[in-house]
Amino acid sequence: MLNPQLAWYVAGPLLGLCVIACRLLFNARLGVTGGYSAIVDRVRHGELSFDWRGWFVIGVLFGGTVFALAAGGPDFHGYGWLTESLDHALVGPVLLGAGVLIGYGAKLAGGCTSGNGLSGTSMLSPASLAATATFFATAIAVSFSTEAVF
Amino acid sequence: MRPRLAGLGIGLVFGIVLSWSGMTSPEVIRSALLFEDSYLFLFFASAVATAAIGLQLLRRGQRVAWTTERPARRHIVGSLVFGVGWGVSDACPGPIATQIGQGIGWGLWTLAGVVIGVYLFLRHSEETEPATDPVPVPG
Repeated sequence: MLNPQLAWYVAGPLLGLCVIACRLLFNARLGVTGGYSAIVDRVRHGELSFDWRGWFVIGVLFGGTVFALAAGGPDFHGYGWLTESLDHALVGPVLLGAGVLIGYGAKLAGGCTSGNGLSGTSMLSPASLAATATFFATAIAVSFSTEAVF
Repeated sequence: MRPRLAGLGIGLVFGIVLSWSGMTSPEVIRSALLFEDSYLFLFFASAVATAAIGLQLLRRGQRVAWTTERPARRHIVGSLVFGVGWGVSDACPGPIATQIGQGIGWGLWTLAGVVIGVYLFLRHSEETEPATDPVPVPG
């Protein structure tokens, strides 16, 4: 990392404020997958006009750009355990496959780490609490399993 | 305020915070999922706590309304599928966007996968997430 991690007790509440802002301004859940979905849905129908959710995702992407420009570069190199453990020719296809699972799974579950995890749990939605417990437990199990095998 | 501009602005803040907190880095995510680092859990819990308090205040002020769902099979199955993808790639939808924004090419693979996954879902189902939650008529 090229610069220190923002303290969790500052970063966490800032994300919480983003959730509150979406509720206040749009009466909606903040959800990154909802943004991708809004864009895919529009493009699928041959349109290039997105509602606030599409623009939200575009903002998240450029937030990364702003950070990289301020920090003098991206905050990591290589790609974690995948580039350490696998032939580099395999990493792209593995990420592609993981992406399909992420996109399809988040849509099926009605949200991802932001839509269910942040927004849904803070709305005390039983469905989001169940979804969040499930994806955290699954990702932890997958991480320990791959750590043991590779 | 114009909704699209507001969406873009909130997204910018969200993306900067995700980057600054290290969530863009697969190593940071993995060390959390292997219980080697508590940052992600503290970060996540403090975000949820802040949002929960704020949302309750807004709701009591009757400025907003929402309904919640009971857990159904799709929430569990979908999150199992999502969790596998997250655990393998150490990136979820927000960090995939910030990776690309930071100029990390690997993120394009994951993004292509997400677009395919979302497309496959939308092909057989209608859009399920509304852009705005329905507001019940007061009284």
